[in-house]
Amino acid sequence: MKRLIVIALVALAVVLAAVYLVPRLRPTGPAEVQKVSEEMRAVTIFFGNKGADGFVSETREVPATQGFEDQVKLVLAELIKGAHDTDKAAAIPDSTQLVQVFWVEDTQTLVLDFNKAFTANHPGGSTGEYYTIANVIKTVSANFPQVARVQFLVEGNQIESIAGHYAIDKPIDVKKWR
Amino acid sequence: MTVRPSTFALMLLVSAAALACAAPAARAAAAEKSLGVVYADGRQTEDVPLAKLDKESDELFVSAYDLARVFKATKFWNPGNRKLVLRIGNHRYMFTLDTRVVVVDETPVLIRMNVRYRDDGSVMIPLEFIEGVLAPRSIEKIVLDRNRLLLSIGSPEYNVTAIEIVDDKDGTRAELTLTDELLYHIDSDTPGILRLKIYGGRLNPLRFTVPVGKGLLNRVRAEQMDQDAYLFFDVKRGVQRYRVDFEGAGAAAAGAKAPKKLVLFLERGALPEIPGADFAGKKMVEMLDEGARRKIVAPVRTIAIDPGHGGSDIGRMSPSGVKEKDVNLAIALMLRDRLMEELGVSVVMTRTDDVLIPLDERVEKANTAGAQLFISIHCNGWFTSDAEGFEVFFLAPARTEEEAQLGREENASVAYEKQGAPDESGGDIDFILWDMVQNAYLNESSDLAEMVQRELNTSLGIRNRGVKQTGLRVLKGLKMPGVLIETAFLSNPKEEKLLLSTEFRERLVESTIEAVRAFQSRYPGKQ
Repeated sequence: MKRLIVIALVALAVVLAAVYLVPRLRPTGPAEVQKVSEEMRAVTIFFGNKGADGFVSETREVPATQGFEDQVKLVLAELIKGAHDTDKAAAIPDSTQLVQVFWVEDTQTLVLDFNKAFTANHPGGSTGEYYTIANVIKTVSANFPQVARVQFLVEGNQIESIAGHYAIDKPIDVKKWR
Repeated sequence: MTVRPSTFALMLLVSAAALACAAPAARAAAAEKSLGVVYADGRQTEDVPLAKLDKESDELFVSAYDLARVFKATKFWNPGNRKLVLRIGNHRYMFTLDTRVVVVDETPVLIRMNVRYRDDGSVMIPLEFIEGVLAPRSIEKIVLDRNRLLLSIGSPEYNVTAIEIVDDKDGTRAELTLTDELLYHIDSDTPGILRLKIYGGRLNPLRFTVPVGKGLLNRVRAEQMDQDAYLFFDVKRGVQRYRVDFEGAGAAAAGAKAPKKLVLFLERGALPEIPGADFAGKKMVEMLDEGARRKIVAPVRTIAIDPGHGGSDIGRMSPSGVKEKDVNLAIALMLRDRLMEELGVSVVMTRTDDVLIPLDERVEKANTAGAQLFISIHCNGWFTSDAEGFEVFFLAPARTEEEAQLGREENASVAYEKQGAPDESGGDIDFILWDMVQNAYLNESSDLAEMVQRELNTSLGIRNRGVKQTGLRVLKGLKMPGVLIETAFLSNPKEEKLLLSTEFRERLVESTIEAVRAFQSRYPGKQ
């Protein structure tokens, strides 16, 4: 009899614990309640759709860092990571890394220095190359309106083009490029 | 007696389970409304869930998470002091849970409803915040339509701004107001429909939809695509001829900032408007202005063909190892032979072997040979195997006419300063002029591109990706109309097979020749 009461009490404790804890453990929504958040910034990342006939975007949260160049790195890292959704395709070649970022305030030019993979692993084609440049430019201009021009570099050097169709040797005007 | 405690435990368990089931249902019911959000920055329209949290009021709440996302805000949340900070644009908005105070920068502002905490962990902010606090302080235009639950953020810069339809005894005019003299293309491939494509056009489709007929127009519909704007004119059956042109094009160029009028004129035809008469399949004919569009083009006698890539630049390599440079060359050589045979024109090739030729040199070759057309042959590539179809490109100039004029003036002053010592390097100024050379031929280039596209569409049997205007390097500096054909995707196994088949290549070559024929008949040139 005593044993049964103990069992009942334990069962009661388990049930109460379940009722109390389960709704809180279940990841029902935004993570903001779980911890004191660091300052986060919502940013827009542009991809191509998988058939390469239009642009699509995703919103990501990145830590709001102090330095402008660091912020650019974090945002473009999200583009390089690729899309969450299989209907989208980041037009960024495999193993691409953004090595360095410089901001030239006088001319409002953002200099992006990529590794060799950015050109070496590019699948080519006017469409593929167009979307590579456009994904970077659209993502930059959506999140950093102060940027007027983007200069692409590969391993620290200016290059003629990524895959032979579009000139990127000179800074690209983000508003006018098409 | 011994049974009772366990029954009690069982009862507890059942009621707990019932409780657990009921909770999600309640949550689902709360999130039944949603806010449509329309962006001007290229993001897709989306639906954001709304919740009604107060029994006394109908006010709807949006989560801080969604709010931060929609407005690209920086967000900081401290549950310790129950404060949430959103940084949107140049302002900082601080909310405190269960209060009506929003501190904007340093100034407290009162809203009618409390900011709430929802049991799923969201901080919920009343919509009133968007219209009452955020919108008046925003640089971007923010409009919240409460009736339709629609939020629009930012106002896109339209360059096609208005449409007016005028009808008189000669015919019907649809007058479009543009801020720039944009390139356009019109065709009547579908009987009864005139399709006007405005390259680089940006318009509000709602403002260009004319549902009620006037004169010879039944209705007008507009579509905004990523790059270009389209207008579809549903035309009465009696119309035989049409014309589209910028009104007073020469005079308008003088005042660069003055709005431009692009006018579609439908001629009141000889055919009577007979109700029920069947004119289906009847094509409308475009009236061509002999003077303006056709004068600069000489008769087509020499054609430059450019097989893309070559040598160490292999272009696209398909997963099975087919190299783009080889496919391009094979198709180009076939095109050369057939063009000479069927049209009796001479052909200059930018390469006939597997060698690397720089892009400027290709253009130089075509210019030096005095070719009247330039056709570049390529295979397309994409990051997955999904992309398919053919696509035809012509050049979008990197610089506007105003900038070019500036370049020419600078060039002249530099030449004046350096009399006797001509600047060999040229530098940026030469580059500007090089960019501008093709501008003189953009109308003809877009016509050729449309003609190639139309022919390929009827013969290739693969997806038509349309005509695109982009800043392709190989078309810069051409002193003749030029296009680049992306024949099909080597990254798509199905199309790779097609590209390797003689039959597909033959269809490709024959269609391209048909397009050149069509170009010749539209631009006969001065004999």
